[in-house]
Amino acid sequence: MWLWLVLFPSPERVFAGQFEKLAHAASVQPGEGYLARMFGAQTAGGFFSTNVEVNIDMPGHRQQTTMSRDDIVQAMMAMHVSGGLTVKFMDISVDVGADKQTAQADMTVEARVPGEQDMMVQEIKFTLRKIDGKWLIIRVQTVRTFS
Amino acid sequence: MTAQRDDGPINPQPGRSRMGHWFRITVIGRNPKVTLARIVVLIVTCFVVFKFILLPIRVDGISMLPAYKDKSVHFINRLAYLRHEARRGDVVGIRVGGTNVLYRVPSMIYMKRIVGLPGETLAYASGHLLINGAALDEPYVIAPCDWNSAPITVGSNQYFVVGDNRSMPQAYHSHGKVEKEQIVGKVLF
Repeated sequence: MWLWLVLFPSPERVFAGQFEKLAHAASVQPGEGYLARMFGAQTAGGFFSTNVEVNIDMPGHRQQTTMSRDDIVQAMMAMHVSGGLTVKFMDISVDVGADKQTAQADMTVEARVPGEQDMMVQEIKFTLRKIDGKWLIIRVQTVRTFS
Repeated sequence: MTAQRDDGPINPQPGRSRMGHWFRITVIGRNPKVTLARIVVLIVTCFVVFKFILLPIRVDGISMLPAYKDKSVHFINRLAYLRHEARRGDVVGIRVGGTNVLYRVPSMIYMKRIVGLPGETLAYASGHLLINGAALDEPYVIAPCDWNSAPITVGSNQYFVVGDNRSMPQAYHSHGKVEKEQIVGKVLF
């Protein structure tokens, strides 16, 4: 049973591992240097396809745009997080399409600045496509918990 | 022929043996099988109660101050609304993961207070919450609030929820209408 799960992990397990790596790459250690941040942003960018559709619908901010992988890396580098930032993906729910080439992953992202009492919590929906054998994010969409 | 009574092996330290005997009775009980059964029942009961009925939660954040302090531990009663609908003033847990994880316990739950019931119209005017045009008395709101908003009508299957600490700008405070199915249960204590 254990061997079966190791050899043939469920889609949830595969995606959970992938998003854990993405969260680690997107997180910033307090006082992290430019090169380390650049490496993290580049690593995080590797989880996205060359063009990503971004739909943001948050209180006070609504945006629908298409970003290139480089745009995403630059946006991550432009964030003012000198005090650090910890990113976590939780409650990942995955729905793989019948063609086994596309998938939708719903989850909650928690972003926290070390030392601050409050944090940012956001429901997010990622659409992924298998490109060259690797699941890459092609669309990011925020979901409103409160309407 | 002589008869000899068998008293068993001679214990050189009877006091220590008696202590060990009572220690074993205290820890394991007189009947280890019954004790084992009790432990199993206790574990199963705790699992069922704390997984499906009383969800332990730890507050993370300041949006429910002063009633619920940051890092304080509480429980959510998932059976609270089996016999009646949620009421105004109830502090409830709201699932973040939408309805697709209805039967899975999410690791992140919003804690908010119900202020608007289905069908009501709510608005904020200079920090005062108006329900159908009348100001609602909210003794649990201590921090000064200056929110203003246009009237919002709550749907027939929805509730309007908000935190008690409204000292921050309205855009930074998670609040609004939630579907009935998003309510996990009522917060106890």
